[in-house]
Amino acid sequence: MTRSGTLIRGMAIVATVTVYFALAGCGQFEPRDKRFYYRALWNFSLREDLAELDSEFNGVDFGHSNLYENLLLTGGQDVPAIEDRARKETLAFIATKPRLNPNEEAIAPTYMKLAWRAQNTFDEAHALHRATYDIAVSDEPDKDRAIHNVLAYYKDSAYAITSKPLDHRRLDRFSYSTAFRQRFPLFNATIWSYHYLQVAVYDPLQAAPDLAAKTQAVRPILATYRRYLDQPPVQWTFMPLTAELSPQFAARYPELAHIFDNLHMLHDNISDILTSERLPTWEAKRAEIYRVVNTYYLATADATNPMIITSEQGHHH
Amino acid sequence: MSTAGLRAVRWLLRAWLVGLALPALALDHDNLDPNRPIGMEDAYAIPKGEIGLEGGVRFNDRRQGRTNVTFQPQIIYGAFANTQIEIQGDLFTDPHSIVGANKSGDLHLGVLYNFNTETLILPAMAVRVEVDLPTGVNSKGVDTQLTGILTRSFGRLRLHLNGGYTLLGSPQGQERPGTYRAVAAVSYPLGYPSSFRDTLIASLYTRQSDLQGQRNHTGVEIGLRHQLTSRVVLDGGLGTEFLGPSGRAALLGTLGVSVGF
Repeated sequence: MTRSGTLIRGMAIVATVTVYFALAGCGQFEPRDKRFYYRALWNFSLREDLAELDSEFNGVDFGHSNLYENLLLTGGQDVPAIEDRARKETLAFIATKPRLNPNEEAIAPTYMKLAWRAQNTFDEAHALHRATYDIAVSDEPDKDRAIHNVLAYYKDSAYAITSKPLDHRRLDRFSYSTAFRQRFPLFNATIWSYHYLQVAVYDPLQAAPDLAAKTQAVRPILATYRRYLDQPPVQWTFMPLTAELSPQFAARYPELAHIFDNLHMLHDNISDILTSERLPTWEAKRAEIYRVVNTYYLATADATNPMIITSEQGHHH
Repeated sequence: MSTAGLRAVRWLLRAWLVGLALPALALDHDNLDPNRPIGMEDAYAIPKGEIGLEGGVRFNDRRQGRTNVTFQPQIIYGAFANTQIEIQGDLFTDPHSIVGANKSGDLHLGVLYNFNTETLILPAMAVRVEVDLPTGVNSKGVDTQLTGILTRSFGRLRLHLNGGYTLLGSPQGQERPGTYRAVAAVSYPLGYPSSFRDTLIASLYTRQSDLQGQRNHTGVEIGLRHQLTSRVVLDGGLGTEFLGPSGRAALLGTLGVSVGF
């Protein structure tokens, strides 16, 4: 056989294998589409200058992924596995004060295979969260411009969550809604505590004039957050909202506030889907996660999204 | 292990320690690229927009013949969605003795395209196309290589299969006009649930010899990738070839660093 013939045969084998797998699972053939974070001089400012807060966010990253993997593998039915084992694993990881964010695909390998599209949506929104903290902590002279640029970069993604306000109350009234918080109140309150930390630090960070003041300003919030981890606030009836905990940040950057609140609501929806027996199979859970993400959360659905509200409606605990 | 081999190991350790002192300027330690630190890769490209600078030093203490040391500078760029392009130019300490496609100083250009992410049914799949331009010592003709890559996970353990074919543009003397290569590898993140900085990798490979009439090089490698900082990954690997021609590797070793930004 000629060399070119051998090459063509090799290419044909690769193409055949690819087509075989594509046809075998065409319903699950989806692109990876990982995108690098917005590159700027302020990247990793939080990690380098306010590691005390950064390490807590690294712990939060573990918590979400570890919850989803355990909900999936236990069918959302095993209370001790979630409330005791998984939650304590998360608390133990947080207690290590991790200097780097964990590899979430190593924490939740099954969930990542089930719902990569949703995970990539989380990853991009979490990168936006991180960017806003980095900007707040950095010595970037024009923070408004930096936030405008990073928000524009985020909104340019096909995985961007809508920056419009969504009706969270309606998004919490699906047939399976509240399943997670009813069955696993401790872990739910722990998740809401993460979300408290993520949004409560914005106003103090922005108000403090320098790094020393910022470090001092976030300490009371960190103390409250750690108290919540010890004694999860099970009395809360709804997730924390940015406008309630950082009103100045929400007023100045309403699109960011909406994105983060929508992100946190999507976390609650997916927790409910993974818990509820109304969606008994992994395939049914995957289909519902993708339906919710595609129909109600991605900015690409803004023109037809029935959950977008035109006037702000406050939520209260 | 020969005296030359020991010298090479000592030199590599010194070079690696110097690397530790570099300022924080790397890539996800769980994204596996060829030679970082062993000759296998996973099916994923680096994220769109990321730039990676990778460098390594590899020694090959052969059963017969002189120990070879290779310097492996490389730039990789996430040029498009699910696509990385690579520019590399290996430099060998004994360039005139090299046979096969990869000559010292050749300019190596590659593209890796990832078709899909892994799902509950499908493995992740990718294809790599590479060309070696004859810019190096004793190099003639443009060599081309096509590799298919599959990655499938089982819990935290990931299995990687690489199968490639290299076509020499202008084979010299007894050089084969084309050679195949097959690798089966596994990777596993160490430290769960308390630490996520290290990935262990092991592979079994076989590749056709560069010269006609000789047996396949068949060996094993093991390596570790360590996330040092948000941007820097260190790697180190060892291997040996238990079948092959008389000049096959008795001990292979690699130390490297990757910087992503």
